[in-house]
Amino acid sequence: MDLANLIIQLFIVPERALQLDEAQWVPVIRILRHQQLLARYAEQLRVNQLFEQLPDYAKHHMLNTEVLANKQCHQVLFEADELVRLFAPLNVEPVFLKGAAYSLGYRLSVGKGRTYSDIDILVPKEAIIAVEQRLSLHGYFSEPMSDYDQRYYRRWTHEIPPVRHHSRGTVLDIHHNLVPPVSGRAPEMHFFDSHLQVSAEGHKMLSLAGLTLHSLIHLLFNEDFKNAFRDLTDLHLLFSQCTEQDWQQLVQLAQQTGFEFELFLASRYCETLLHSPIPKSFRQQLDKVRPNKLRMRLLDAMFLRVLCPRHPVIDRWPHKMADWLVWLRGHWLKMPLPILIWHLLAKSSKGLLVALLGKSYFEPERR
Amino acid sequence: MSSSVQYLLLPPFCFEVKTDIPFVASNLKQVYGPRLIDSAECPDYFVSVQKAEGIRKFYRPQARFFSDQQEPFQPLQQQQAYAMLEWGMNWCVASHEMQYVIIHAAVLAKGNKAILFPAPPGSGKSTLTAWLAFHGWRLLSDEMALIQPHSRQVTPFVRPICLKNNSIQLAKAWFPEGNFSTVASDTHKGDVIHLSPPESSWQQHTEPAEIVGIVFPNYKVDTTLDIYQLTKTQGFMQFATNAFNYGVIGTQGFSTLCNVIEQVPSFEIFYNDLSAVSEFLLQELIDGSC
Repeated sequence: MDLANLIIQLFIVPERALQLDEAQWVPVIRILRHQQLLARYAEQLRVNQLFEQLPDYAKHHMLNTEVLANKQCHQVLFEADELVRLFAPLNVEPVFLKGAAYSLGYRLSVGKGRTYSDIDILVPKEAIIAVEQRLSLHGYFSEPMSDYDQRYYRRWTHEIPPVRHHSRGTVLDIHHNLVPPVSGRAPEMHFFDSHLQVSAEGHKMLSLAGLTLHSLIHLLFNEDFKNAFRDLTDLHLLFSQCTEQDWQQLVQLAQQTGFEFELFLASRYCETLLHSPIPKSFRQQLDKVRPNKLRMRLLDAMFLRVLCPRHPVIDRWPHKMADWLVWLRGHWLKMPLPILIWHLLAKSSKGLLVALLGKSYFEPERR
Repeated sequence: MSSSVQYLLLPPFCFEVKTDIPFVASNLKQVYGPRLIDSAECPDYFVSVQKAEGIRKFYRPQARFFSDQQEPFQPLQQQQAYAMLEWGMNWCVASHEMQYVIIHAAVLAKGNKAILFPAPPGSGKSTLTAWLAFHGWRLLSDEMALIQPHSRQVTPFVRPICLKNNSIQLAKAWFPEGNFSTVASDTHKGDVIHLSPPESSWQQHTEPAEIVGIVFPNYKVDTTLDIYQLTKTQGFMQFATNAFNYGVIGTQGFSTLCNVIEQVPSFEIFYNDLSAVSEFLLQELIDGSC
């Protein structure tokens, strides 16, 4: 069995882990670490009471990552309290998104062992300048960035350039929408007003349906699929926790915000790759937006490759081809043609220089 | 471009090391000797040092370090590639290994009695380490002490000693037979060289030792040897500021460090006479402890 398949199998049937010897774990651990999934797999093996039976090599690396994941959980609680306190004078309640929301919503299985590199928050668009100023007064500064990127962020995207806390190193992504407005697909945020929940500790986040929709938009309405397999397992865990009522809300919200097609794709690939439980009635309902045969085959050819576990030890040319196609598709979806051309020109002139001079030409030498 | 892939068996860890820079490969051989092997079943980390591509191959060449696909540092001048690899391996351990309390400290032992030397760069720690290691002490570690949680036990992680600036000439004069790497000049630490510890330290690289004392060294030109015993609080604070993963492992790290500080004496020393230091360590800490 190839490695990508083995890793998928281990997710679907954790008992499979007991058949691997120490040496077989080596590439598995390596790929899981690369895909930021080591802690999630460790959690699954614990829940299924398989962890203690693993070879020492696997246990060693999984224990390490569990410690780091736990620390992150504690840290995000602290950071979230800090942000709530910081924004209170502005009358802004941040809505925690993605990884941070998964950790803060303690009833969510998706939060267990989920690791991430930054905290994503959503604030009202009209408050974003005040939020940014208040953060900079309290030690969060944006990273050095080219003027082009700065302008690009502020003019076209749904977020402002990320800020980093000067001593703790915490990185914040501050959004005012879930999708870049330049795409013409940014939903009216009021649709989400009735899809908010508050955790026991008082942190605001989207409801299960809202979290699921955001997760699948983030995965499929995008050009970057580096952590796609991790995100697919997020979706599997979210789908698995959705009740009939959550599903109704999810489908309704997807229709209102115009992301029914992405919901169709997400449920299709979760079901195909991870055997996620998609209720039949909803699957039939989503079949309305199913594309024609040719387009479906093309999408399958791309997505079944980019959504799999990935690592250079696995990748062959079809993977790279698929990467390139979804990259194009992502840009195409996100930007109207004139802006896209301008963006690609700006990026490719740099790209050309990088190809000519080497990536490190632009990296300052450290002393 | 030919890339060599080899393995470093450095208990408790094993590294796969890949490089396309010939002098990095020859330094590895020089410094690690038989610890460098052609195949290994279970490498823990996959590190590589590669020539930077593009024009940087020819014009002011650079090297890049990767831990698998991750690139934690900015590129460095290519002549610093070997030092970069050593630092990169330290980075792998410091940022992933959470089952030890890891202190930025040298560890030297007599038999199974170990002394920890936690110190910031520039304190003369490595020069002292090298001198002791070549004068009958066993080196367990030059940069990172791996302490077993809730104990005083240190697991050896034997690696070369990283000497800087003036100590390079000194060490070369002291140990003409030593296995030195080439010099990486003009790094953020100045000029650095890596020195392989004596064979006896390598031989015992799986034998743990028990901490019997903590010494914070400060090299001072005009002082033979001044010794100040630290209170438990002073010792703890200095100890904790030198801990790598203390913030991540939380309570376990705190109670381990407290436990160690409560059980063993800690000293701050100012010295220029290394044999006087050695004598003090032997009398006060090694023979004095039971």
